[in-house]
Amino acid sequence: MSSRRSRVSEEEINELISKLQSLLPEARRRGGGRASAAKLLKETCNYIRSLNREVDDLSGRLSALMATMDHNSAEAEIIRSLLRQ
Amino acid sequence: MAISDAEGESPAAAKEVGGERKRKRLAERSLLAKWKTEGERKSYSSKLIEALRAAVATDCSRSRAVRVAADRALAVTARGRSRWSRAILSRRTLKLRSRARVARLKPPAAAAGPRAAERRKPPALEQKARVLGRLVPGCRKLPLATLLEEATDYIAALEMQVRAMSAVAEILSAAAGGGRSSSVAAEPM
Repeated sequence: MSSRRSRVSEEEINELISKLQSLLPEARRRGGGRASAAKLLKETCNYIRSLNREVDDLSGRLSALMATMDHNSAEAEIIRSLLRQ
Repeated sequence: MAISDAEGESPAAAKEVGGERKRKRLAERSLLAKWKTEGERKSYSSKLIEALRAAVATDCSRSRAVRVAADRALAVTARGRSRWSRAILSRRTLKLRSRARVARLKPPAAAAGPRAAERRKPPALEQKARVLGRLVPGCRKLPLATLLEEATDYIAALEMQVRAMSAVAEILSAAAGGGRSSSVAAEPM
């Protein structure tokens, strides 16, 4: 693997970046105009951070919920609804 | 515990004629699509339940323990195909994510004036890539191409995690709020 990063095929990078762009919610809204690589990376970082925050919030919610129920009925409830769908 | 092992590798990818890159692209797309299937979400949910059981045992910092358990379950669902999942699984203790407020050095000539030629890879890009590398577990020193691959998979997985945990939270809050609505078949007294 060459150490000069400019040598890595620009095409490959662009390809991956457009894949990334299709994942980001912002980019979808913008209608698919090509944003600069730096902008995309920044949006990716922000998106990951916000997803992490959501998961943290959900963890808090789940732990609070599990505190109020006894564990067995919590599990039973989840399994029951998984089987139902 | 219904662990759906239905899909496995996409057979279509192997049959495609026309070069390895095309095959790889197809395989990647189907790998990403996996995170959106109901099967994956349910498989994750069942692992999540087991993990939650372990997590709520400890009294202190329960939500942290839930997060750790949820992440581990997510990494297991990834079936070792990605670096970030292997990195999560090899975390030994609770990783305290220190929000180090590192002052982000603004590149000096970026603000005003004509935009620098993007062909040349200005330091801003490298910096952002470094930040991204810190966000995705186990990806600090990767070359950009690999890092982007890992990041796309990680994002898809996180989205699934959010969907699954939201669903579980709905179920539990419905159960907790309305009382046990569907009663189990009562044993004859």
